[in-house]
Amino acid sequence: MKKVLKTLLGVWNTKTVVVVAIGAALFGVLMNYAGIPIYTNTKLTTAMIIPVIVGGMFGPLPAFVACTVGNIIADLIGGWGFWFDWSVGNGVLGFIVGLLPLYGAKINEGIFKVKHAIIYSIVCVLGNLFALGIVIPILTTLFYGGELEVTMAQAWTASIANIVVLIVAGLPILYVLANRNSRRTNLKLEEKED
Amino acid sequence: MNSPLLNLVPGKTFLHKLTGKTKVRTFLVLLVYIIMSFDIRLLFPLLVASIIGLVSLKPRWKTIKVFFYIAIGMNLINVILYYLARPTCGANWCGGGNTVLFQFTDYFTVSAETIWYLSVRFLKMMTSFIVSMVFILSITPSEMAAGLYSVKVPYKICTVFSLAFRYIPDIARDYENIKVSMQARGVEMDPKKASVMTRLKQNVLILIPLIISSFERVGNISNAMDLRGYGKGKTRTYYSEHEELKADKIFKVIYCALLVFCIYWIISHNIMPQPSKMWHPFS
Repeated sequence: MKKVLKTLLGVWNTKTVVVVAIGAALFGVLMNYAGIPIYTNTKLTTAMIIPVIVGGMFGPLPAFVACTVGNIIADLIGGWGFWFDWSVGNGVLGFIVGLLPLYGAKINEGIFKVKHAIIYSIVCVLGNLFALGIVIPILTTLFYGGELEVTMAQAWTASIANIVVLIVAGLPILYVLANRNSRRTNLKLEEKED
Repeated sequence: MNSPLLNLVPGKTFLHKLTGKTKVRTFLVLLVYIIMSFDIRLLFPLLVASIIGLVSLKPRWKTIKVFFYIAIGMNLINVILYYLARPTCGANWCGGGNTVLFQFTDYFTVSAETIWYLSVRFLKMMTSFIVSMVFILSITPSEMAAGLYSVKVPYKICTVFSLAFRYIPDIARDYENIKVSMQARGVEMDPKKASVMTRLKQNVLILIPLIISSFERVGNISNAMDLRGYGKGKTRTYYSEHEELKADKIFKVIYCALLVFCIYWIISHNIMPQPSKMWHPFS
């Protein structure tokens, strides 16, 4: 149980801080410059890759922070106003997507098998349904009192776009990163006794 | 591709000179103030105040103009979508009345309540846009980190903020370089010539080198930070934070008073049941 909690929280040393910061910056840049608009306030964006990578390396909570901060930064430099409901919702999605180490896909050590790919895809779909179908509409009504129909339409298009990006682009990147790392890690670390 | 909004050097006007603490706290209180109500009597004074604030910052209007067009356009589209989704949406906001002014078809009717609700909504979105604009234009990333730290955000997350802002220009430059060199090798990125799916694939092609080159920097940066003793202490002070000026004290009184008002308003109007969800001139 303690181990699960530790995986969920991640280790917050200097390296994590820097990775999360760079992840957030990448998220902001990709959201603004590498998106393909498909609906109002919704883009087919490759930014959703960032939580996959950060989550794969450092666990869900860093992915959550990277996603939330990244979304706030994207709003700041994009200049379309603040949408905290979407920032937190995307953060929750980042958290769910970043659960990778929890089911044994260790990108740092080069472990990413077909089994993990299948679990990852299922988790992505469920995470999108949860974060964009439940969390964002609730937050939108709380914060802005918006009309649910339009938010739902935005959420559905965004979640479909996210699923496409997470699976079409996320899987190859996970494979590439895992392969890159596995080449370096054929040495085994001896267990220390203490 | 440097963001025209973000300034890294502190400016010279009145609002620029406030401490980061004051800016962040005022902004957070104002966000609560905007979010809590649909009341034009509350929103309109803030809109006027924020426009005065924006003018006092002496921004470069030429670059800002684009952001205004985007914001106005997007909010207009949103309002139109709200109308198309339910033309009678004003009725349940203004206590059930639905005074039809004229109608296109049986479904698309135009009622006074809907016009009122949609225009207040537009005003609210524009207020939130201008307030955040004033906030962004007046603050530097390190002041923002200092301000967030003053509202008890863990300082590692504050560092995430200031570091991320520091690396945006670098990443944007790398992205542009990789994109241009990819295009030189014949990767088509033009929206007119390539379909959405191929463009998504091309974006991934850019993404892999971008991500690898960005994350390769992590080791250098974190080592440099460790060598300077980052993360050893429990608390942190900020170089950009200066002594409170007289204006800071005035702002402190203002935001404290606003916060009390917000709490009163939320309890009396948002939690207690009201005859209608927003203030309106129809009775």
